[in-house]
This record gives sequence, structure tokens and C-alpha cells, in this order.
Amino acid sequence: MLKIKNLKATINEKLILKGLNLDIKPGEVHAIMGPNGSGKSTLANVLSGKNGYEIEGEISFNGIDLNDLKIEERAQKGIFLAFQYPLEIPGVNTNIFLRTSLNSVRKARGEKELDTLTFLKLIKEKAKELNIDEKFLSRQLNVGFSGGEKKKNEILQMKLLEPKLSILDETDSGLDIDALRIVADGVNTYKNKKNAFLIITHYQRLLDYIKPDFIHVLSAGKIIKTGNANLGEQLEKTGYTNLS
Amino acid sequence: MKQNYDFDIEKIKNLSQDEKVSRQKNLDLFYESGFPSKQVEDWKFTDLNLILNKNFDNISNEVNFESSKEFKAIENFEHNFIFLTNGKIISTNFDYEEKSKILIKNFHQEEVLNIDPSNTLVLLNSALSSGGFSIEISKDYKFKKPLIVYNCFSQDLKNKILNNKNSIKLNEGSELTLIDYSDNNDQNNFIKNTLDTVFLDKNAVLKNILIQNSKSNGHFYKYIKGSLEDGSSYENYILSSGLKLNKIEIEINLNKDNSSCSVYSALNLLEDQHQEIKTRINHNSPNCKSYQKIKNVLDDESKGVYQGKIFVEKIAQKTDAYQLSKALIVSDNAEFDAKPELEIYADDVKCSHGSTSGSIDSDAVHYLMTRGISKKESVKLLINGFLNEVLEKITDSELKIFLEKILERQINGH
Repeated sequence: MLKIKNLKATINEKLILKGLNLDIKPGEVHAIMGPNGSGKSTLANVLSGKNGYEIEGEISFNGIDLNDLKIEERAQKGIFLAFQYPLEIPGVNTNIFLRTSLNSVRKARGEKELDTLTFLKLIKEKAKELNIDEKFLSRQLNVGFSGGEKKKNEILQMKLLEPKLSILDETDSGLDIDALRIVADGVNTYKNKKNAFLIITHYQRLLDYIKPDFIHVLSAGKIIKTGNANLGEQLEKTGYTNLS
Repeated sequence: MKQNYDFDIEKIKNLSQDEKVSRQKNLDLFYESGFPSKQVEDWKFTDLNLILNKNFDNISNEVNFESSKEFKAIENFEHNFIFLTNGKIISTNFDYEEKSKILIKNFHQEEVLNIDPSNTLVLLNSALSSGGFSIEISKDYKFKKPLIVYNCFSQDLKNKILNNKNSIKLNEGSELTLIDYSDNNDQNNFIKNTLDTVFLDKNAVLKNILIQNSKSNGHFYKYIKGSLEDGSSYENYILSSGLKLNKIEIEINLNKDNSSCSVYSALNLLEDQHQEIKTRINHNSPNCKSYQKIKNVLDDESKGVYQGKIFVEKIAQKTDAYQLSKALIVSDNAEFDAKPELEIYADDVKCSHGSTSGSIDSDAVHYLMTRGISKKESVKLLINGFLNEVLEKITDSELKIFLEKILERQINGH
């Protein structure tokens, strides 16, 4: 699904990713762990198409060169990034935003756009699954939401847009244990053989709930070690510095 | 160079000899200085004389009031209406109300308005005005449905000027939502110069909503003068995007205790459109409140102006006055000028003002784009969110949905 070969990314003349390789197949859950400044968020930004990065190397998504796609086209083709810090956007109503987003993606996929009533029915169901109060949907996007509410809102968007590849950038940060469980359940119920996840995290605790198939350790812009789910527990005990 | 004015009092029908003499005096006074240019302080950001010189070969007041043009009424909600063509009443309908509580008639032209005589547009209006309506609501009568004033225009207004006066009087305890709805999409350059006087007696409540429903080459000037008695409230909403030139001056006199007024404006200016909102809120009595929120989005080569003055008399203790202007500048060639002013002679007051201008938040655009929304649509969502905020206080949900649609249309350039 996603193939990254020798990816280098530079921002403000600083080389952050220094030749990264990654291969994600449908049905797989990959986790990327690593210390601060190792390039984890840069990888998420680059995959989402954020401006300002100079890119070298290959990134292909289901055979398409990602560099040829605009930001919104990546989303329409099935890449979803759950933000580490979801933005507060004053004035923009959450429901209107969600409907515009879903209909943009549906339109690009050649599906019929949803009318308001059908949409509202759908979004209420999805919100209920994530234990999101309906009232949030009529508020301004993320404005005054707690950290946990913002993260749940990201997962709601994921479940609504039904992406093929979901990138969760430190989705566990700022979550209490109940919210963490709800978010993890949201991911686990969405997970199937056709879609894949890339989970970026500092800590093992999210991986206790969402079991990864692979864990990669990112350090100084490169993946220095890859292992199975047990690698996370090992890292929790020994830290990144003792990694050989 | 001055325009060729073709102003002739003889072209106004049914005037007595005395009326003609008095109007001619006003016209002569107007001629002394003509249309205001930027040398006049109140017009420093809107050089009307220059703008008119550019867009008009000559200007005439010969206006035909008969129009057969079909007009599409608003179907979104039930309402009463006054139908005006070129400012003159063609028909009225108050089927939702108790008709005995409403007095509606043609404006009595010789009524003296007591508006600043240094304003030459007021002089011109006094010289040339015709048409206009006058409405008075009986004590304690609360309108069941909104009243829409449909402003329609004939197709032959090229190089013409319309001058109208309207009067709105709400007696004690009465309530009205009045929507001033302008629709004109022909390409002719014309001028509309309107004076509205508003009188609110004790505890009366007026919501006054100004809507421009189409893109128009109209050059509009409107002066609203409001006088408020004890506990009365005036709320004004301005959604006038689409006009080539528009200046709205609002003067509200909070004459008695506990009266309040608010001005909300949401404008999305495109191309070379130019709009100015100028307010003067006079706190003449204690315990009054005023609130202003002015929002402008400026694209292309457009220009927006806000001049807002809060004046607090010595006697007006416990005044609570607020004024905020926010502009979103989308294009490098657009311009926004703000001149907020406070003039305070009382010592126990709460007055605040602020003015900001900035560009679209690129991180917000990025966030929306990662959800599959194109850049253009993302920017529109943000603009919509920015402007929509001024409708927050509207509680009637039917009306709110209608205004949101109008705003969306204006954001899409009509």
C-alpha cells in the first residue's frame, strides 16, 4: 500500500529525515517510536503533503507517486492524518466541516454526495460509537474542546472518511485512560484486512490497546531497528539510548 | 473636474411654490461644495467626488417611478412587506398583523429631519427627495412576522440619482424586525441617497437588517439617524456585499437611561468594490449600552473602511460601550482602513475598542485540505466562519438560516 524508499526531507535547510525506508501492506499496523526530534512528526507531515519540505526519494501509495498529489487529493485517495495538535478553527461549525469533508472525498471517489439529513443520521451514529456528545457537533471546530475531545474528533473524522491508510500522530498524548480506551476501540473496530495504520507514539501504552504487527524505532531521521510487538515493551524498560 | 449635474427641482411632481423655494435653497447650498471629496474629514477614506467623476458622465434626478419589472419575493419565511420601486411605495401587505396597529404612508417630504447640515448629501436629499415610506407602530404592538422592505429599481437608471427619505417610529413597548432588502442586478451606474430616521419610544425593540441580494453597479449612501428612549433597543445588521460603492452612516442617540444599540456587519468585498461603515454612537444618558462588531473580508482590489466613534456625555455614567473591527485581507491589492474613536466626558464608564487585520491562517487551510477539501473551498469555509459569527445573536432560527444563506451567496460573489 505505502512504499517509502530512501526518503529525505529538509526544512529550513535542515535535513530531518535522512533516508527512511518503510513498506506497509493492507491489514497491517505499524508503529513508529523514537525520541523527541527523531523525525516522527516530520514523517507524518510529509505524508500529509504539508508545504515547506524539500523531498527526495520515493513515496508511492497504491502505485501512485505521492509527490504528484495535492494535499486534498491525498485525503481523497485514502490517506488520513490524525493530528498531534488538532487545530481550533473559530467560526467553522463542526457539522458543516465534517459534511464538506465527507462530500469532497465522496465526490472525488465518484460517489453521491450526502444530503444534510442523511449526513446527520450518519454522523450521529459515528459520534455515539466514540462516546462523543452530539452537542460538540454543532460547536465551532475544536474551539474550547479538551485535549481528549479533540483527539476523539480526529478519530471520528477517520471513521467518517474511511481511509485506506490512517496515520495517527501521537494520538495518545493528552488522553486520560478512558479516552485512550475509546480512541483505541475506535481504531480496533475500524481495522480490517484492507486498511492499514501507521501509529506514531512516544509510549508503549497506546500499543497495549492497539496491537501493532511491526514496531520501528526512528532515530536521527532513520529507522534503526524493526521488531514485533515485544520491541515496545523492551523499549519501555531500556529506553532508546541503550538500543544496539 | 466636476460632473455635469443635471439637477432640476421642476422634475419633481406636485410641489407647491413654497416647497420649490425651500428645495432650491438646499440645492444651492449643495452646489457650494458639491459631492464630498477626501478633503472632508468624514470622507477621507471614501473620495466620493473622485469616484463619481470616474464612473458618471452626468448625473440627473429625472426618475420614473413606474416599473413593470417582475420581482421575486422571498419564500423562505412568512413576512409582511412594503414594495418600493426607486424608493416609492408600490404596494404593501400586512396580512399577518393587526392592521389598525400600523400606520403606513408615503413619506411626508417636508418633514424637517434635523441632520447635520454640513453633510452635503443630506442637503442634496432635502433638495431632491421624492418617494420613501413612513411607518408608525402603535403602543405595545409586537409584530408577529418580520417586515421586508423590497427595494426594487427600474432598468433605466443609468446616470440617475435617487433621493429618498424613510421614517420608522415605534411607540412604547412595540417590536419590529425590519429587513431592508435591495435587489438590482443591472449594469447601470446609478446613485441612491437615502435618509432613514428611527425613533424608538420607551422599551421599543427594532431589529434592522440591511441586505444586498445581488451584485450591482449601484452607488449607495445611507444615513440612519436613531433616537432612543428609556429601555429601548436598536439592533442593526449589515449584509450589503455586492454593491460597487456603499457608505452607511449610522448615528444613534441613546437619549434616555437603559437604552441600547448594536451594529453588526459582515462584508465580503470583491473586485473593486468599496464599502464604508461609519458609526457615531452618542451616549447621552446614564446606564446605556452600545456594542459594535464589524467584520470585513477583502479580496481582489476591494477597499473596506470603518470609522467608528463612541461619544460619552458627562452625564452618561455607567456607560457600557464596546467596539471591535476585524478584517481578513485575502489579496495583496485589497485595503482596509479603520479609525476607531472614543470621546469620553464621564468618569465611571466601561469603554473598549479594538481593531485587527490579518490574513487567512495557512495552518487552518492545511488542516482542512488534509480532510479532502480543496484550497478554494477551505478558504471559503474559513471566510464563512469568520463572517458568520456576527449572526450569533439572532435567535429566530428561520431568519438565521435565511441570513446564513444570503451570506454564503455573497461569499460566492452572488
